[in-house]
This record gives sequence, structure tokens and C-alpha cells, in this order.
Amino acid sequence: MARESSFNKKSRAVLLVVLGLFSIGQLFPLVWLIDFSLCKSGDVYGANILKIPNPPQFINYYLAWRDGKIPQYFINSVIVNVTSVLLVVLFSLMMGYAFVRMEWKWSNKVLTYVLLGLMIPIHATLLPNFVIFRQLKMLDSYFALIIPYVAFSLPQAVFLMTGFIGSIPRALEESAIIDGCGIFRILFQIILPLSKPALVTITVTTFLNTWNEFIMAATYLTSDKFRTLPFSVYNFAGQYASNYAVQFAVMTIVALPSLIVYIALNEQVTKGVTLGAVKG
Amino acid sequence: MYKVLSDKRTILLLVLPGLLIYTFAILFPIILSVYLGMTDWSGIGRPNFVGLENFKKIIFSDTTFWKSLRNAIFLALAYVFVQHPIALTFAILIDKIGGRAEKIFRTIFFIPCVIPVVVTSRMWVSLYDPQYGLINKILDFLHLGFLKQQWLGDTKTALISVIIICMWQGFGWALLIYYAGLKGIPEELYEAAMIDGATGVKLYTKITVPLLQPVIKVNFTIAIIYALKQMETVYLTTNGGPGDASQFLANYLYIRAFNSYQYGYANAISVLFVIACLAVNILFQKIFKPENYEF
Repeated sequence: MARESSFNKKSRAVLLVVLGLFSIGQLFPLVWLIDFSLCKSGDVYGANILKIPNPPQFINYYLAWRDGKIPQYFINSVIVNVTSVLLVVLFSLMMGYAFVRMEWKWSNKVLTYVLLGLMIPIHATLLPNFVIFRQLKMLDSYFALIIPYVAFSLPQAVFLMTGFIGSIPRALEESAIIDGCGIFRILFQIILPLSKPALVTITVTTFLNTWNEFIMAATYLTSDKFRTLPFSVYNFAGQYASNYAVQFAVMTIVALPSLIVYIALNEQVTKGVTLGAVKG
Repeated sequence: MYKVLSDKRTILLLVLPGLLIYTFAILFPIILSVYLGMTDWSGIGRPNFVGLENFKKIIFSDTTFWKSLRNAIFLALAYVFVQHPIALTFAILIDKIGGRAEKIFRTIFFIPCVIPVVVTSRMWVSLYDPQYGLINKILDFLHLGFLKQQWLGDTKTALISVIIICMWQGFGWALLIYYAGLKGIPEELYEAAMIDGATGVKLYTKITVPLLQPVIKVNFTIAIIYALKQMETVYLTTNGGPGDASQFLANYLYIRAFNSYQYGYANAISVLFVIACLAVNILFQKIFKPENYEF
């Protein structure tokens, strides 16, 4: 690496310290949150910036788990997200193939129409969708979230898929067609396995976006039954208004799944973010 | 072969499900919004058609609307002139450090971006709290106690406090995009420049920044659209207040619809909001047409 050769050990150490300090600064709010989630509620009023929890108050996490309805909301989140992600992956694969490989007159126009969605802010659909869902008696159901989540993830996913499928050599499909393979077999037995990198990226970015989504969930769900994980935090602000430690515990729990997914799959997240942005 | 790839029924089968769901949840609602924006509907009962009345009122006499737009511009400026220079600097530093540290720092800086906005927003409400918040405690610790504020509750500081949250949250995004841009610059250019005697900062101002221009433009566009679309953080921290000090468009239309039951009026704001977003997008695509750099 040429960039490193000009670079001695001492300045590398300085650089490490600078980056280290700044990243501690950037993460400090989270450290503070986790720290006080293990303390007694009143401790947060003390003068200390951080405090060693002595002994750690794991009961906060128990209360957060129980009163935050974490299990119920978590299951709702899983149902909504798994369905949304599967549909986005399936539809973007199908649409990507139809736009790139199939031959039809409207292909480009329809693709442009779908990519228009990249420019439309979700918030502009909140009000009309609320009215539509209410009219169709769809408010307060998993569909009220799955449908908009899929719709809003599709433009980005289709964008990534068309780019990726375009880069797959045609030779395999050609011989498959000559052998009498139908489109669906080509799609699921040839294109699908080859598109794995793109599909993983789509899966991870869609998952993170929809898992963390709150405003649509807050608008389209009116009863408690279908609420997703972010509501644990939201409800707590009122219910446990003065018990900060338990509030902080519930925030930590809710942040954890996304954090785990991100750390496990951070290569794919990075790819998803940068592909979408730099080429868009 | 052509026959297989141009079979109309198959094409329909492949495109239709996605197309329907997209049209149903995005395009159709926007069209409905245009109609509702021309009514005085309260959300229940029958809508009453009033034509362009709402739009006139918003544009000519709604101070909160303009304030929301102004706040979005402040946020955009903060992104571009404060967040981005820092993000670019750190992207260069991370790229430079190499090895395992490179990956670790890249991961760390993006963490705030993957945490649910409900968590980060509530967390910042706590950080800003006048009684127990970290910010005031740090000011005390630094003997700057006189700077202590009711950060989110004061008209003077609410907007800047919200902007700080947004910059903190989005920092990893900006950094990662610059970082990806840096990775696209071929090594040989640096090698050649170093053979020619270029060193240190000069290497970056003469090679990195000019070659990064397309990425910088994309990143600016994203930042400005982000600023315009800001809602969740505001909704969960100040809800636009106190008064309309930290109001943003999306949050404002939400309040009009659900708190004051001016559904028609809110939809008119929504339509103007979409137009603003589209205009910025198209404008920036025109100005910042990505030039193709030949390496």
C-alpha cells in the first residue's frame, strides 16, 4: 500500500489516538445511556458524568422487558419485517429481471416510474394513506405496515437489482433457454443464486430501515395489538416518566437487535449504503 | 429465445405485484393528497371543495410554513458546512490508517445511524435535560456552568439543539459515502504524485478533493434532501416547539392534520412538500450532473 509507506509508526499512533478520541466522543451518549440503565434511577441526578453501578441494577432490565411488552412488540416487529423483506427481495428480483432482460416496449418507462419513488418523501403519503387505510378497514393490522414498507423499499431495491442483473453475463441464460428452460426456472435457479450479493445487501438495508421505522407505525396503528418494538420506548416515556434507569434500559434493549445485525453484517450494510448513494 | 424473453404474460406476472403495491401505497396517495389539498376537510364527514384556497393561504400568510422551510435550510447548511468537512476529514484519516483499525473505525462511526430513531431521540431528550442531562453536567465539569440551558425547551436554543442531534445521527452516513468515494480513487495517482514530490496535505488538496468532486456533489444533494425531509427526530424531541421554533415541514403537516384536524390544509402542505423535494432533486441533478472522470 503506497499510502502507508509514506507513513511512519509515530504518526500512525497519533492518528489512532485522534480517531479513537473522536469515536469515543461520537459514542459517548450511548455509553452514558447504558451506564445509567444499570444504576438506581436517582443516580442520574448526581454530579458524576459516569458512575460505576454498584451493584448493577439488572432489575431495570427485567422491568423494561416486562412492562415494555418487549416480547409482544418484538414478535410483531419480526412478523412485519420478515414479510416485508421477503416481499421486497422477491419483487425486486422479478422486476429487475423483467426490466433488464425481458423485451417489452414499456420497460424503460415503467422503470423510470418506479425509480421516481426514490425522490418521494414517505411523510407526504402519511395523511392520504391514513385515509385510504381507514376506508379499507386496514388500519391496525400488519398490512397497514407491510404494504407501505414494501412500497417504499422497492425503488431502491429495484435500482440495485437492475444494476446487478445487468452485470451478469447472458451466456448461462441463453443456453438454459435453448435447453427449454422457462423464465421462472431461469429466474430462481440461475439468476437468484448469482444475485446473492445484491440480495443480501437489499435484505440488510431493507431490514434496518423497516425495523427502525416509527412514524408510519405510530400513524397507522391505533391499538396496542400490532405495535412494533420502537413503541416500547415511546410508551415508556409516559409510563415511567420519572424512572430514568428503567427508561434507559428499555432503550438499550430496543437498540440491541439493530446493533447486532449491523455488527454481524456490517460489510453488507456498508455496501448497501455506498452503492445506493454513490451511483444514485 | 426472443419468444421466451418477450412473452407478455410472463412480463406482467413479474412486474405487476411490485408495481401494484408501489402504485397503491405511493403514487395513488400522492394524487389523493392533491385532491384533498383542495378541500377544507377535517378528517371526518364530507370534504368541501375550495380550490386553491389552502395553497394561497399557505404561501401568502402561513408564517409557520416558511419558518419550517427556513429551519430546513439551516439544517442543510449545518450539514454541508459543519458536518461534511468533519466527515470528509475523518473519512480520509480512516482510509489512511489502514488495516484492522480502518474497518473498526468505519464500523464505529456508523453505529448511531443504525440505532432506531426512537432510541436516539429519547436519548438526546435525556442528554439535554436541564436537571440531569449530560450536556449541562459536562458544562459544569468544564467550569462553563453559565452556559447551561433548557436546551430543547427554550426558543433560542431549540433549533440548534435539534440540528446537533441530526448532525450527530447522520455523521456516519456522510462519512461512509466519502469513504466509498476515496476507495474509488486509484492508488497509482498517489504514487505518481509522490514520485513528483507531492506530500502530506498537498496530496489531498490536489488529488483527493478534486477527484472526489462527484461524490461530494452526491453527498450534498443527499444532505439537502435529508434536511428537507426531517421529521422523526423533531417529532420525538420538540415536536416543533416551543412555538414553532424548531418546526419542520413534515412534522408541521402532521400536526395540522392530527392535532388541529385541518386535514385538507395539511394535505395542501404535503403537496407543496413533495413539490419542494422533487424540485431540489431535479435541480441538483441538473447542476450536479455527474461528470465522468477518466482515470
